[in-house]
Amino acid sequence: MKKIRVLILRTAGTNCDYETQSAFELCGAIAERVHINTLIERKDKIFEYDILAFPGGFSYGDDIASGKILANEVKNKLGDEVKKYALSGRPIIGICNGFQVLVKIGLLPDPELFKQISTLSYNDSDKFECRWVYLKTEKKIKNESSCIWTKNLPDIISLPVAHGEGKFIPMNEKFLDNLNKNNQIVFRYSLKDGSEPEYPLAPNGSTEQIAGICNKKGNIFGLMPHPERYVFALQHPAREGFNSKYGWGKVIFQNAVNFVS
Amino acid sequence: MMFEIEIFTKKGFKNLRGEHILSDICGLSIENITRVEYSPLYVVDGDMSFSETEMIASEVLIDKITESYVIRQCDTECCSRVISESFDVKETDRLNLDFSVIEVWYKKGVTDTVSESVVKAVKDLGLIKEIKVKNGHKYYLYGEILQVTLNNVATRLLANTLIQEYKIH
Repeated sequence: MKKIRVLILRTAGTNCDYETQSAFELCGAIAERVHINTLIERKDKIFEYDILAFPGGFSYGDDIASGKILANEVKNKLGDEVKKYALSGRPIIGICNGFQVLVKIGLLPDPELFKQISTLSYNDSDKFECRWVYLKTEKKIKNESSCIWTKNLPDIISLPVAHGEGKFIPMNEKFLDNLNKNNQIVFRYSLKDGSEPEYPLAPNGSTEQIAGICNKKGNIFGLMPHPERYVFALQHPAREGFNSKYGWGKVIFQNAVNFVS
Repeated sequence: MMFEIEIFTKKGFKNLRGEHILSDICGLSIENITRVEYSPLYVVDGDMSFSETEMIASEVLIDKITESYVIRQCDTECCSRVISESFDVKETDRLNLDFSVIEVWYKKGVTDTVSESVVKAVKDLGLIKEIKVKNGHKYYLYGEILQVTLNNVATRLLANTLIQEYKIH
């Protein structure tokens, strides 16, 4: 059986690359952490991989704005390759800082447009927020969304967040309506019973409590919470999970590996 | 040429850092300050044309959804002549209001990591030129505020005077 290869793109300040690598390897893939300079030297290398991951961290110290400098670097030096990769339908995930990069490059929400039309701005508290939160995937969205990353998840899961700039802001109302209409809003912050949360379970003041979105085709997925930090039940504060061993974050990585397989 | 780029929060979005500073000011029981706005500042010095500076502002320094910018041309003394502003920034908006400004900059010799990142980002844009960048912070404090109060706010909240200097105007 073909081994799935995952490229985990790292640079100065990336700090969730090892955990992301472990999560994919737990799901049976071969994951490699590749520095952006290596990829810039050999741009075609990107097409040797089946999945591309932008991990969390503080790329370039979050200087100017989180993910901004890495987004500019990727767009200016690897833009054509990354866009081609995205449009080929291969899975791409951006976690936390990686989500900020995807949004600022313009791969999310529309890789064909490849232009920034939304942002992840400073949390309403103007502070770094770090805690476990509940995420809701509405049944309707789960059934109708083409997102390949979120199949087989329960309606409500918990994942940890850790960010200072996670407030999702769309360019305008029309764009937000389109996200809703196309079932591109994959995760919203919620209470345990699925109802609307307030701070601190709504950690950043995100528009419509948006925590994660995908593109229309469903292969590109970005989210602020960290699924790679919940691949084992033991990582959960109450040791919750499935099969008494794994955390729900693992399902997200497994979905992508299964999709490519 | 030397240009100063000031970043503004667009109308309709919260100036969160300003609100945070105001709350800290209230926590110190300092009165008469009714509102605070924060703007990051960047001074770009080198062989840059105006249009290249505008490209740096729009592509590197602002978040296109929530922020806009003003570019001023600088001489050795000050940066005052506005030569470009994005459509939703009007410096004249503040003319009828009572406000003071505190600028905070790193002292000479202190490593400015944000500026180093900006230089890298400018090179990534394809502008291969020798430039120097300085990063500062500008605070607009609204209300009738005494000089002694401004000094108090600057030294207790806004500037770490070991490594930073501040100007009040």
